[in-house]
Amino acid sequence: MDDNRKPDGIVLTEAQKKSRRQRSIAIALALGVLVVLFFAVTIVKGPGVLVRPM
Amino acid sequence: MSVVDHNALDLAPRISEAEVADYIALLKPRVMSLVIFTALVGLVIAPGHVHPVLAFTSILCIAVGAGASGALNMAYEGDIDALMTRTVNRPIPRGRITVPEATVFGMTLAFFSVMTLGILVNWYAGALLAFTIFFYVVVYTIGLKRWTAQNIVIGGAAGALPPVVAWVAATGSLSIEPLLLFLIIFFWTPPHFWALALFRNDDYARAGVPMLPVVAGPDATRLQILLYTIVLVAVAFAPWPLGYFDAAYGIVSLVLGAGMLALAVNVYRHRTGSRALRATRKLFAFSILYLFALFATLLLEVVVHALVPSIW
Repeated sequence: MDDNRKPDGIVLTEAQKKSRRQRSIAIALALGVLVVLFFAVTIVKGPGVLVRPM
Repeated sequence: MSVVDHNALDLAPRISEAEVADYIALLKPRVMSLVIFTALVGLVIAPGHVHPVLAFTSILCIAVGAGASGALNMAYEGDIDALMTRTVNRPIPRGRITVPEATVFGMTLAFFSVMTLGILVNWYAGALLAFTIFFYVVVYTIGLKRWTAQNIVIGGAAGALPPVVAWVAATGSLSIEPLLLFLIIFFWTPPHFWALALFRNDDYARAGVPMLPVVAGPDATRLQILLYTIVLVAVAFAPWPLGYFDAAYGIVSLVLGAGMLALAVNVYRHRTGSRALRATRKLFAFSILYLFALFATLLLEVVVHALVPSIW
């Protein structure tokens, strides 16, 4: 294997890598908030969380 | 040969350089802040106790729902945003985010905000939030905005719904008070946006958006602003004599309503030159203060009511 060989396909620029990292972190934080929110409401509501009047 | 090369270039996937700030701009943060504030008031004045976690969840979902509406609105209006000075720096006209990216972003936020509000708080509120997003995006943005000069009159209903959604989230039912808040914002919207449209008339005309000053002319718009302001001041004052809100609200409503009316008369009287421009800018700025002060007074009344027993 030649380690110096350039990779095939698309190579991201530094700006693209940076913005993608930023967006990935934002998505992770948003999902984290969602998880914490569902956990907190489950604790607050207790067994009542299963009661779903429509 | 060159044609083949061009095709090869066209097939190269577009790699986004959009930053988080571009996506935040899609949420229309300034509109969102007003939505959060009016929803907070709707939640706080609702009777009964709401657990702080549920209150936070409700406001967060309403805010994200408003952001989703903003993103979907920008996704649909990329073409006209590029023609208007006020909107040319939005992420889509600048090429930072594509229309499909904004659409997927908006749809995802809309889905999660509605489902989260429905699952964690109650489904009446979730359904009303879904209706609000639908109304803003489909009825106002797609249906009315490019079709009729009454676009912001009818479309204003979407902006007036957040305090109602918050009330329903807190109580699980509807009542007169949130409908009064709805009416205040509903009648506030036309004078506010027509004042903006008067000094952004060229923008809207260039983009082909049939705002009232473009279609009916500035003078007809000035008359409509005055008429709607009279109705607004009456509607905003009515809850006090009707016994729904306290005297502090009534007095603030009366004093600021007089200011709003005076500025609307000014807009009606001064029709040309720098005085006309100044009058419309003043009305636009004051209308924001007016709505904020009315809702802030309601918020303060609740806080004072809560504190007074502990003081005594």
